Amino acid sequence: MPLRYAPAILLGRVARTLARWRKPGGGSAVPGLVVNTIAPGFLPRTLNGFPGGLVIVTGSAGKSTTTKMLVAALRAHGMSVFTNQSTANISQGLTSALLERVSLTGRIEGDIAVLEMDEGHGALISGSLNPRVVVLTNVMVDQIDRFHDSDMVAAMLAKIAARATGSVVLNADDLYLARLGDGVVSGVTVARYGVSDEVLAANPRGLGYSLTSPTRLDAADGMVLTGVSGLDATVLVDGRVHELRLPARGTHYAVDALTALAAARSALLESFDAAVAVAAISTIPPVFGRGEVVSVRGSTVEFVLVQNPASLQLNVDSLDPDTEQILVAVGSDVRDPSYLWPADTSGLGHVQIASGSKAYDIGLQLAYDGVIVDRIEPDLGRALDDFLALPEPAHGVKTIIFSADSMRRTRAHLGLETNEADPS
Amino acid sequence: MTVDHPADLTIVTLLPQLLDTNGDAANARVLAQRARWAGRSARIVPVQSVADLPETVDLVVIGSGTDTDLVAARDALRALAEPLRAWLAGGVPVLAVGTGWELLSAGLDLADGSTVDGLGLVSGRASALPARVTDDLVVDADGLRLLGFENHLRGYAGAAAPLGTVPYGTGNGDGTEGAVAGSFIGTHLHGPVLARNPQLADRMLRSACAARALSLAPSAQTDAVDGIAKAARNQVAVRLSLTSE
Ligand SMILES: [Zn+2]
Repeated sequence: MPLRYAPAILLGRVARTLARWRKPGGGSAVPGLVVNTIAPGFLPRTLNGFPGGLVIVTGSAGKSTTTKMLVAALRAHGMSVFTNQSTANISQGLTSALLERVSLTGRIEGDIAVLEMDEGHGALISGSLNPRVVVLTNVMVDQIDRFHDSDMVAAMLAKIAARATGSVVLNADDLYLARLGDGVVSGVTVARYGVSDEVLAANPRGLGYSLTSPTRLDAADGMVLTGVSGLDATVLVDGRVHELRLPARGTHYAVDALTALAAARSALLESFDAAVAVAAISTIPPVFGRGEVVSVRGSTVEFVLVQNPASLQLNVDSLDPDTEQILVAVGSDVRDPSYLWPADTSGLGHVQIASGSKAYDIGLQLAYDGVIVDRIEPDLGRALDDFLALPEPAHGVKTIIFSADSMRRTRAHLGLETNEADPS
Repeated sequence: MTVDHPADLTIVTLLPQLLDTNGDAANARVLAQRARWAGRSARIVPVQSVADLPETVDLVVIGSGTDTDLVAARDALRALAEPLRAWLAGGVPVLAVGTGWELLSAGLDLADGSTVDGLGLVSGRASALPARVTDDLVVDADGLRLLGFENHLRGYAGAAAPLGTVPYGTGNGDGTEGAVAGSFIGTHLHGPVLARNPQLADRMLRSACAARALSLAPSAQTDAVDGIAKAARNQVAVRLSLTSE
């Protein structure tokens, strides 16, 4: 690439330095905004320029975990990977991340790029991108999309998938995605993955997809998740059984691992080694904000992020039954308080504190589900201070279940680093 | 009471798989728990088709779905038109939220100019609003203030009688909200409406119990939970600069 972007890159770096000087650790979207404004071609040109191509991971849920697992699998195969570390799914955040690594000629060290994209932002910027592989996780109507419907989410994913030049990797258990796979143009491979009858049967409430396919994927047609038990899972790849270690309990993590495996094969083609990929995926640490274990004020605390009713249900169902200290915080991001009611929270049994700006509403739901709630404290800071000051539990660890808004406020209150690059 | 003994109250929730986008099928859970706290046994029966219908039905709730499923939900409801007609004629309390209510009307006029016929079981029809409405909704209903959240594309005209008037929000789109006809209540209120507004739940429960000569006992549990609901309503009222209760 010529030096045409050098001025923009330099300006972006100046902006980055200024942003850090003004607010240490913050302002990471600002330099991207500067560059995208003066050189709108920079982002697509750079992303399309990796020798091994671009991989886009999108869908309603599981994007972050899947992306981290896929990156680990690719690196274990000796590839140098550029990826978006933060959860900022916006082009400014991406551009800022690219600025960290780009040379003045616009080149970035790296064999391949793996990007996590929100379906909405992805559909907006994908028109200028030529991904070799597009990975689709599922269609759930999540908090961001909840004033849309499933059809709209599926249409955004179809738009991104239509940009794939090599393969579309998709979840065969998600009926919206299975249908989308039937419409992929010839010349582009469709790589399917899915769970076995046994795995589905072990999740009587389903896997949270808007629509579940009526039949399961045949092992001859793709990779199959054949078993999940605690942190252990088994997958069937080309007739061979592999054992996986998960970063946290729950079938959704096992499906994320399966997705990453299928994506790794599509990205690596003939150099894919299932055993190498499985070993790499098995070592990834617990994912940020979902089942993340942190040490704070002398206590071990587990953070569980709830993104939609399906993830609330999965997290309630997969919580260690011995857990005796729970704080539930729901914030202003849940605008309609009935939103979380499809989930049955009775499995929580006993909650020490309900908090967040929707404390009374989540408290009401817990009460109707027969959960004992000791206290409702809308002031999240006070709730956190008092919860952490409780004597250490005899069983399990202190567990905080929160919506995205309450997660941000919790991290800020406890002085934990935040990886939010979104300026909003 | 033994396991074999039938419950005092049977609460039917219609099409909970298609009509629970916003969690409003949970109105059944609210009725059942309030009945239990008041000393009555209660069971919830999800009904997808005629084959699922229990022998006795004391209360019915219908939630809201997505527009993608409008025709599928209408067809499934149409297969249940006879029992629905019998419940309404027999004074069984029926609560329908959002599209669940709209589909019982004469029909729905969509924004693209097309229409979806309803079951014609309650008077009036739903018509597209200029834009989707998503906000808090406050309703003054016979001295009761009902509070919830609205998220809908259509208003409603021609109800036998509205549930109330609208000091804040959009509701039916003409200053009124909801529909009442005999034992039927239709509304755009989410919350779920019966959890946020327990007086409305108790109105339905008292009516169902009166029909079976059952009584409801006062309960400390109910009082505690209603205190939470009141705090939730007051939080919204303060935010909207309305008077607190
Ligand atoms: Zn989304």
